[in-house]
Amino acid sequence: MSHASPQPAVKMGLAIPNSKLGMWLFLGTEIMFFTAFIGSYIVLRIGSPGWPTDPADTHINVFFGGFNTFVLLTSSFLVVSAHEAMRHEKYAKARKLILATLLLGVLFLGIKGIEYYGKISHDLLPSHVAETDQQAMNKALAEIEAIVVDRYDALVPKGNNIDDKRTNLTTMIGKADEAAKPPLEALSALDTQFRSLKSHVKADVALEMPLTLRPVVLLTGSGRTITGTVDDAKQADPGTLLITTTGGKTERVPLANVKERRAGTPLPTLSFETFKSHLEEMRENESYGPLLAGVHHPHPVLYGNLFVSIYFLLTGFHALHVIIGLILFAIVLSLGDRLDGSWIDYIENCGLYWHFVDLVWIFLFPLLYIV
Amino acid sequence: MNSEHETHHVHYGLIFATLCLLTGLSIISDVVHIESKTLVVVIVMAIAVAKASFVALFFMHLKFERNWKYVLLGPTTILAIGLPLALLPDISIHYYRIDIPQTQVTAQAEAGSTPAHSEGSHHEGSHHE
Repeated sequence: MSHASPQPAVKMGLAIPNSKLGMWLFLGTEIMFFTAFIGSYIVLRIGSPGWPTDPADTHINVFFGGFNTFVLLTSSFLVVSAHEAMRHEKYAKARKLILATLLLGVLFLGIKGIEYYGKISHDLLPSHVAETDQQAMNKALAEIEAIVVDRYDALVPKGNNIDDKRTNLTTMIGKADEAAKPPLEALSALDTQFRSLKSHVKADVALEMPLTLRPVVLLTGSGRTITGTVDDAKQADPGTLLITTTGGKTERVPLANVKERRAGTPLPTLSFETFKSHLEEMRENESYGPLLAGVHHPHPVLYGNLFVSIYFLLTGFHALHVIIGLILFAIVLSLGDRLDGSWIDYIENCGLYWHFVDLVWIFLFPLLYIV
Repeated sequence: MNSEHETHHVHYGLIFATLCLLTGLSIISDVVHIESKTLVVVIVMAIAVAKASFVALFFMHLKFERNWKYVLLGPTTILAIGLPLALLPDISIHYYRIDIPQTQVTAQAEAGSTPAHSEGSHHEGSHHE
């Protein structure tokens, strides 16, 4: 009995290697991963009443982003050329191209690092960005306070809390010799300035006005209305009220004559501009100016926190994927001369992964840098 | 194991040059002052989609793969578009007035008066671009 030539076994599965299918399945999940974040960005941005777009606020440089796009596109081209070289069994050429791809990936990360450094040095970090003038002033005050507390801890070891330390500092300055005085006096001067600034911000009173000033309207028994300001610090005589009228005259009114006392129109309020210029003056002070190096220039950015959160989320995850890609290339390069035809599928899959990383950046670049 | 490659000769250099050109175009459309912001967004996203297509079809060889690519990328595309669409009505569209420090500051700036921390006129929360 002759058999016909055996039927070939029915071939199951796809005509691609398992590893390629696996990589594509993984890339499918990665697509969903990144579209989740990009989709959230789009949705949040549409829903936000505003968005920072001025490069002076966002410190986004389209040329850095554009150059990074070129870097990744070139690396994609090189990795696909490496795969072609593998197909033609030119393994030395493939190694060189993979090395070039890896170096371009490192260049991409370097430029990203420069961008991140720019953001971090301006304190553009999630939940660090002041959004309104008031928040910017409070933030600057908090930074100065941290410096003051730090200096107290360093220079005035005695004392359980800041008030004790303040008293101790005065004693220390009295007892210190000439050489030891300057840092203590610098701290004392900075502390005084800081507390005055803080009180003015809290009371929302213009920096030029003493805080003890109180605007009043007095109604005397004789029916006269006196409008002016009373300086609580200058009330020496308890029986009378020293009032500076709006006309500029100083008048001493016996309290017995005052029938009614009302609050007058509020004092001029603190302006953000004067706050900033006062801070600059403090920085120029010779004794304590250098201490204020860590205080960031007050620069409120409306909706800045949302923007910066999304920026670091998107670019951070993308950079993480770039690093993983570089590890994949390093594995191949570690083979050295042993790279041969059995690695062609690995190179193809690395290429697929790297192209995906490039694809994500192709979308991130316009969404973050241009739109 | 060496997989079968159909001998589709893709000129990778040409694709790369096209990609560089498109990138240049999107940078130019940002640098050159174009009146309509919407137009810039449309141009730049269209260029992004075109570049992505070139990378996916040619560099990733998808143009020459078989039908499994649809089985794989279909569900991902549906989810990729569907999730933001599902979130859009809740997060993007406002049915209520938004009263947060940021909108108060904006309202005051537009009214052109009073200090940052006091109550100012309120804006209708609306669907902003």
